[in-house]
Amino acid sequence: MKKKLVSVLLTTVMGASVLAGCGSGEAESVAEEAQDTAETVTEVAQEAASTVEEVKEEVKEEVQDYGTGEIKVWVADAVVDFTKSEIDQFMSDNPQYSGYTVTVEAVGEGDAASNMITDVTAGADIYGFAQDQTARLVAAGALVDVAPENVDAIKNENAAGAVVAATVGDTLYSYPMTADNGYFLYYDKSVVTDPSTLEGILEQCEAAGKNFYMDMTGWYQVSYFFGTGCTLTFDSDNDGNFTACNMDYDSDKGLVALKKMIEVASSKAFQPGSSAGDAVNYAAIIDGTWDASTVKDFLGDNYACAKLPTFTGSDGKTYQMSGFNGCKLLGVKPQEDENKLAVCDALALFLTSEKVQLDRYNEVGWGPSNLKAQQDSAVKADEALSALSEQFAYTIPQGQYPGDYWSNAEALAGDVQGKLQGASDDDLKAALKDFQEKVSAAR
Amino acid sequence: MSNASGKKGNPVGNFFVSLGNALKDIGVIFVKGDWKTKISYVIMGFGQIMRGQFLRGGMYLAIEALFIWFLTAFGGKYFMKLNTLGTIETYKKNRKTVYGDHSFLILLFGLLTLFFILFIIYLWYRNIKENKEQELILKSGKSLPGNKADFQSLFDSNFDKTLLALPVTGVFAFTVLPIVFMICVAFTNYDATHQAPTKLFTWVGLSNFKNLFSFDTGGFGNTFLGVLLWTLVWALLATFIDYFLGIAVALLINKKGVKFKKFWRTCLVLTIAVPQFVSLLYVSKMFDSAGIINGTLKKLGIIENSIPFWTDPLLAKITIVVVNIWIGIPYLMLMATGLLMNIPADLYESARIDGATPWQMFRHITMPYMLFVTGPYLLTSYTGNLNNFNVIYLLTGGAPKSMSYAGGAGATDLLVTWLYKMTINDTDYKMAAAIGIMIFIVTAVIALGVYRMLPSVKDEEGFQ
Amino acid sequence: MRESSMKRKRAIGNFFAYVALILIVIVWLFPFVGIVLGSFRSFDPAVEYGGIVDYVIPKHFSLDNYRFVLGDATNYKRWFMNTVIIAFFVSMIQTIIVLCVSYALSRMRFNGRTLLMKFWLILGMFPGFLTMICLYFLLKQIGLTQAGAVPGLILVSVASSGMGYYICKGYFDTIPKALDEAARIDGASRARVFFTMTIPMSKPIIIYQALVAFMAPWNDYVFASYMAFGHDKSYNVAVSMYRWMNTGDYQGYFTRFCAGGVLVAIPVTLLFMFLQKYYVEGVTGGAVKG
Repeated sequence: MKKKLVSVLLTTVMGASVLAGCGSGEAESVAEEAQDTAETVTEVAQEAASTVEEVKEEVKEEVQDYGTGEIKVWVADAVVDFTKSEIDQFMSDNPQYSGYTVTVEAVGEGDAASNMITDVTAGADIYGFAQDQTARLVAAGALVDVAPENVDAIKNENAAGAVVAATVGDTLYSYPMTADNGYFLYYDKSVVTDPSTLEGILEQCEAAGKNFYMDMTGWYQVSYFFGTGCTLTFDSDNDGNFTACNMDYDSDKGLVALKKMIEVASSKAFQPGSSAGDAVNYAAIIDGTWDASTVKDFLGDNYACAKLPTFTGSDGKTYQMSGFNGCKLLGVKPQEDENKLAVCDALALFLTSEKVQLDRYNEVGWGPSNLKAQQDSAVKADEALSALSEQFAYTIPQGQYPGDYWSNAEALAGDVQGKLQGASDDDLKAALKDFQEKVSAAR
Repeated sequence: MSNASGKKGNPVGNFFVSLGNALKDIGVIFVKGDWKTKISYVIMGFGQIMRGQFLRGGMYLAIEALFIWFLTAFGGKYFMKLNTLGTIETYKKNRKTVYGDHSFLILLFGLLTLFFILFIIYLWYRNIKENKEQELILKSGKSLPGNKADFQSLFDSNFDKTLLALPVTGVFAFTVLPIVFMICVAFTNYDATHQAPTKLFTWVGLSNFKNLFSFDTGGFGNTFLGVLLWTLVWALLATFIDYFLGIAVALLINKKGVKFKKFWRTCLVLTIAVPQFVSLLYVSKMFDSAGIINGTLKKLGIIENSIPFWTDPLLAKITIVVVNIWIGIPYLMLMATGLLMNIPADLYESARIDGATPWQMFRHITMPYMLFVTGPYLLTSYTGNLNNFNVIYLLTGGAPKSMSYAGGAGATDLLVTWLYKMTINDTDYKMAAAIGIMIFIVTAVIALGVYRMLPSVKDEEGFQ
Repeated sequence: MRESSMKRKRAIGNFFAYVALILIVIVWLFPFVGIVLGSFRSFDPAVEYGGIVDYVIPKHFSLDNYRFVLGDATNYKRWFMNTVIIAFFVSMIQTIIVLCVSYALSRMRFNGRTLLMKFWLILGMFPGFLTMICLYFLLKQIGLTQAGAVPGLILVSVASSGMGYYICKGYFDTIPKALDEAARIDGASRARVFFTMTIPMSKPIIIYQALVAFMAPWNDYVFASYMAFGHDKSYNVAVSMYRWMNTGDYQGYFTRFCAGGVLVAIPVTLLFMFLQKYYVEGVTGGAVKG
């Protein structure tokens, strides 16, 4: 119990030091205050075991001096300049961290995750990544759990889906940065008059000789399977290891979804792909907000966005296409120096705060995960973001999936466009059974 | 293995015979040698220095000192843990992380230390032998070569040592050591869930190879065989189609009466000059479902749906082979042009007098000559194509994937691109290492097996 | 009579030869024409589109891509210089090492010579990527990754270059040994023979080695990206431009990739064309020797 009390007090001290910083004179007085608090802490701590005394001394140092060091930040190319200017602001507001120099490097979310896993020690101290990497990063020891004093605030202030994505087992491992990792429909108003059904969209694209782009790989194909009511989730323990798979693709629901995928892939308007930059001559594309400006440039005045359409299954029923909703996260890697860790924690917290999330939206258009920032009028007026949030009502938060799921799903997508075209129901059932077996066995 | 069984021609036997002799030498020299030689058993180079050869003796002494320093200050602690690859786990103290043993570095530097120890043993033996030889020379009344002569020999009779010292060290440090390291990794559980420094990895025996040849669900057996088969077929197609077409193009350009020979050649040679990552990435986009080729065919009304050049497994394989022709022909054309000029003209002359048609001349003179001369080239080209990473990686990246393959392999993956994916995407180093060893075995078996059968090898052996 | 029919036959043969050659040239040059034309298509949405399109000739001629690539928006100039530096040093040092090894193996007879050659031959059969992770950690230990990736890449390329002695040794083997012997009888040392006789006689093979070594780093994507490990300033052109083509954040970079590609291709191609003669000699010699 006493330990807990101490830690709460320490938290307050650290919080105070984080908040300190409105000009140097004031900072000094705050620092003194903090020192006083620290002394009261030591009084309490004297009664505790010797281990706690160690803590006391370290804490005393922390409050006064964070030492010096270098902090490396990896973010996607699009936000490098933005992140730099925000960090400059942060450092000038917080002179107690002046011993640290922060460098920002452009490393995309995918590269960042795989680099961190390859060599944690050479990786960045703070880095952005997509939520599907959380379990891998935790398992490889590339993420440190969020400082206990920040956990509740993060959980309360951010969208529930984003918090789920940042959590492995029951530990919060990272800071939600955006909640816009999902997909919806971009379309050409002049070609597609009614974006509400998949069949209608394909028909109109075919008639106009335009393309309909949709990716059939793991992240996108769930829009069919989850749409017909299938489930696919994995349970993981606190170390990021997968313990169980909940999956029912090998069922009638799964068959309906698979048949629809094959039917869509056989349309002459269909093109596999989800990158607007690589797409040509399209009247509809299922893509995310990150491509909004590319699509806007391409479609011009005919640019429009909508939630994903419904489709009519082979059983005659109508299903709403589903999907994942996800987010980008900011992680801090394990540190051997507690002072540096405290600075990293503070910096990561700042970079994912309401203000910075809103700034980031205004600067590069990344949709915020912070609930207050989401209520901002500019955010609410964004066409793509509102289509996405409409779609989010039909999606499930993307938890953790093992690498084998993604590679098997990509393989299924290959087969949907290849050898499963024109296959009998029995063959399709066999393929689903096979898929389910392989994915369930994944760890 | 006893010494007696080591007959000539049995390398293993010979090795043990010479090892036995060396051990005997060491003993005999110690007993018979003078005090300088005896001290050299502990202080390397002592005898040489005492006999006036400061340069030589100093080298031995310096290396011994370096070795002792290396062992105590750096290598020893890694070497001691080589059997377990580390036991101290990483743990967290408050919020701070305290890293435990780094299995990766233990294995790497442990091996380095092991090599250093072997090297020192060899050097120590040399040092003893040298002492004995010096004793013998002095006993017979001759004098030892001076320091200056010793130094100068490095540029004359021992020039090979000077020339090779640096290259051999380089190959050792950046090729031999890493390869031995990775061979060891194939017998550990080093993968994404055993990532140093956070987690330890350790020896697991043959389990990775069992997995590679396991045909159960999740086993790599089927995938390995499939990828291996395609690798072999691909190398065969890539080598021979390019070879014959290249010769054909060379013949076409060299045809009597064709003008602007240099121009035609230069156009083709552009493919060699322009870096492949530029040209191949562009070509891969050309064949894309929305690329120029499909777009043009659609505009012309020839096709309605895009041709799935990269998404259909069979078509993707064919497309790769075709694109590889585009890359391969210019090399062959250049080479064949040079070689065709070497064919003695009188062979053709006498054939023409006998009334042979051009086709007959090609079949009976040109082709046999080319095949004979380029035998070794065809072999190296085949083994090169087995590991032709650039073409596959830049064109398809191994796609399309299929459910019938495990481990993230795709239909166009070669063993080497699969290995690459495992290293980069899955950080599954243990399986990557096992596959790497299999690639080596396949290459070595083919290369050494075929090499002995080549006619030109037998005939040209005495050429040197 | 007979002669004219022969002539006609030859003329028809030549006609088909020209048709075939023209077709071949079109197919072979098409991608290069496409890259050059693509590099003149603007990526500015107000003008045209920077992604992939299904036509070849741009609708508007523009230098936007070159302005972007050579401007300050990217580190392209830095990446280009990195590649030039790597290529230059690798080319120099590698050639020297290959010459040394080839001379030793061709002219000198020492214990373990054939063993060394066999051993290197076998080493060459291991796939290079196998050892990537190990090399990364080795170089990291001596500080030659990330910020130090450029010297690191030079070191790795150069360190194992001794194994590529085949072609050069084959060339040395064709220089008569009697020349060496004569000079040695006159009292010249091995080193003297090497520097004053063998090297001056080996100009073609030296140029070939240097040229091949110079061209390789321009293609190095895999290893270079591993060594740079996210450190933008250490990229070479292949790494950075491959990322333009493949990273999600860089969509619509296709025409800029083309422009960058043209800038890379021009110097390398010119150099190659200029030294083509030596390249052909090396390739032909290498093919025969195996």
